[in-house]
Amino acid sequence: MSQSSEAPIVELDGLSVGFGDKTVIDGVDLQLRPREIFGVVGETGAGKSVLARAIIGLLPTGGRVLAGQVRYRGQPVSTMGPEDARAFRGGKVALIGTNAKALLDPVARVGDQIARVVRSHERLDKRAATARAVALMREIGINDPERRARAYPHELSGGMAQRIVIAMALAGNPDVLLADDATLGLDATVQAQVLESLVERSRERGLSVLLVTHDLGIVRHYCDRVAVMKAGRLVEVGDVEPFLAAPANPYSRELLDAARARPTLQRPLAEDDRPPLVSVRDLTMHFAVPGSVEPIRAVDGVSFSIAAGETLALVGESGSGKTTAGQCLMRLLDNTDGRIIFNGRDITDLRENAFRPLRRNMQMVFQEPYVALNPRWRVRDLLAEPMALIEPMTSAERARRVAELLEAVHLPTALAEARPHELTAGEQKRVGVARALATKPSFIVFDEPTTALDIRVRAQIIDLIRGLQSQMNLAALFITHDLNSVRSLAHRVAVMHLGKIVEQGSTEAIFERAEHPYTRKLLAAELPVDCEPLPPGDIAA
Amino acid sequence: MPSDAPIRSSFLRPALVIGLFLLALQLIAIIFAPWIAPFSPIEANPIDSLQTPNAIHWLGTDELGMDIFSRIVFATRVNLLIGFAAVAISLAIGVPIGVLVGYYRGFTGALVMRFFDFIQSFPVFVLGMALVAVLGQEIWSVVIVLCMLFVPMFSRIVRAEVLSLRERPFIAAARCSGAGDFAIMFRHILPNAMTPVIVQISVSIGMAILLTAGLSFIGAGVRLPAPEWGLMVSSGAQQMILGVWWVALFPGLAIVFSVLSFALLSDEAKRLLDTSRPGVRR
Repeated sequence: MSQSSEAPIVELDGLSVGFGDKTVIDGVDLQLRPREIFGVVGETGAGKSVLARAIIGLLPTGGRVLAGQVRYRGQPVSTMGPEDARAFRGGKVALIGTNAKALLDPVARVGDQIARVVRSHERLDKRAATARAVALMREIGINDPERRARAYPHELSGGMAQRIVIAMALAGNPDVLLADDATLGLDATVQAQVLESLVERSRERGLSVLLVTHDLGIVRHYCDRVAVMKAGRLVEVGDVEPFLAAPANPYSRELLDAARARPTLQRPLAEDDRPPLVSVRDLTMHFAVPGSVEPIRAVDGVSFSIAAGETLALVGESGSGKTTAGQCLMRLLDNTDGRIIFNGRDITDLRENAFRPLRRNMQMVFQEPYVALNPRWRVRDLLAEPMALIEPMTSAERARRVAELLEAVHLPTALAEARPHELTAGEQKRVGVARALATKPSFIVFDEPTTALDIRVRAQIIDLIRGLQSQMNLAALFITHDLNSVRSLAHRVAVMHLGKIVEQGSTEAIFERAEHPYTRKLLAAELPVDCEPLPPGDIAA
Repeated sequence: MPSDAPIRSSFLRPALVIGLFLLALQLIAIIFAPWIAPFSPIEANPIDSLQTPNAIHWLGTDELGMDIFSRIVFATRVNLLIGFAAVAISLAIGVPIGVLVGYYRGFTGALVMRFFDFIQSFPVFVLGMALVAVLGQEIWSVVIVLCMLFVPMFSRIVRAEVLSLRERPFIAAARCSGAGDFAIMFRHILPNAMTPVIVQISVSIGMAILLTAGLSFIGAGVRLPAPEWGLMVSSGAQQMILGVWWVALFPGLAIVFSVLSFALLSDEAKRLLDTSRPGVRR
């Protein structure tokens, strides 16, 4: 696959980049060859995005090149004049960023935005540029591009917006694409489709692509060569196949092992006659839409039950209503219809004051770790707050319990004095878990506990939850779209699609013998690091 | 990911230094007025009326022969007292109202907001004259007029913050942890809503000083012979055309520098609070 004979298009020669007195990229040598797809993997903070930005000459404020240089076809990028540099950006090398919706101008139609890029690189009249924009949108796989071109960014889905950004990147006919975690935050099925079209177009046009990601599955499926980045250095560079078979560097091996971990499936609990701990019948949550008679049916007649000590995974794409269902269970939302029975008691119509004593038995771990912690509070106070639900205790007892909780989630007790923004994402997640454990509940709703975390941190959080489950005989509703964590944590799985549960069964049954087409589609969208090679196109189906 | 975090080395910018210096001057004037001022601020001395600035009366005297420098120093007490009192009272009333109205919304909340609209639709000076006519020309009438202006302002700022904060996930998390409405409002939401209020405090003190002076200038504020900057400008304004410039000019400058100091401090407060505000870590 490698074309080592040809001269590299982009060449990094001992590049170092610093912010203030911190070195973020430390002597990176890298050659991007013609027509190759090159993956850069690493964890958050490894400097991957800064690397992509350094190549295109757009370092974030405060960043500067300390040593080395970037060469495009032999010419150092830093010697270009302002006009050449402008033509170079977008015309020769284009950057595709994360979070497409934020990258688009909210008040301009997307077709016009693409046309603007076309016209900044080519002398064309408006009409011709718009025609080119529509052609680009069709090329990148947007249905009915003429109509979509007139849409504003907020009218598009995340996947569609990402395609628009890719079309904009292609508009200047570059020969190098830098994709900086371009599919982060998209659903697995959408991610596969978007990546598929990105890679297909690039191969057709003979582009070189630098694919920055933290997902080794993406590397395995789309890249020719790969570099592993850690703390600003490239620790390993090589062809993908040999790399996956035998990584040379211990850190690469660690990453691969974490991504490969395929734990044994949880076995379903033995059947018994005891009533379930949590039982939900025909749960319905409709949201009224201003100016419309039709409500949004976020949750539309969902039934499931969870026994003591059992974990049910609720999987589905974003917008399928799984988080809403979890919030109804916690009485954070007033469900429109249906019954929720907890521990033999109907809690559906309980008022907050009557329900509060029950909260000690059911807790929730929130999706985004940072925003679910009050930014002004110290960890100690965040952990102590739910203890008021148990019984009055002295401040010494409370301090001891806080220390115990921190220990239970494997955090140093010194963190008790920290504020949320001083913690890493993994630590924030652990604080969220510790907080839910503070009252020793019998049931916890985990809302996406593993998303937006690096591979190794994700594995640690899964281990943590798994340990807690067995120690505390905890029942859990596990809301996620990360199928790998479902394998390791759930006894049973319910698949949710457009507000309804389309399939429900033991974890083994769902993963081995899925019946519903939607479940199969969901399973197929996973990009495992190891599996038999799939014929291209099959994934996106 | 290294963020483009603002560099905080510029803590002591000139604006902050000037603002703090002017504030310090005013505080010194408030505390040590009797020792700084060479003459009594309210003792008329008709023999010495309308003296130009000289070695004895540094900034001259007014038509009643009162020493202008002494009056300016003592007036700092009156003007800043009115400003501080009005803002403190408005905070104590307006912030809780804003929290309650933002948290519960509902009919009562809407009613309160419409009432604020009603008050704020009056021109300040008309409102001031009406109230002073009823309550008498006292310092406290001026404070009440200012409160009627500031309470709705603080309430609105806090309400807007609360409206967005109450939807944040950490509030749902607090509810799961058993926090009641009161704890959520005042322990979780309020501390997060205070940044814009703190910035506004300084602006409001400046506004209060300006409005007090304005009210006194049109005769709806404090009464002579009380030392007050607006009143002094007013008494000097009539003589301006006769070439007697010092009576109105110096108290006018006092107003300018005082308002300037609070405006600078408010800008600086905004800057410092923004950079120290915890950012999302990536």
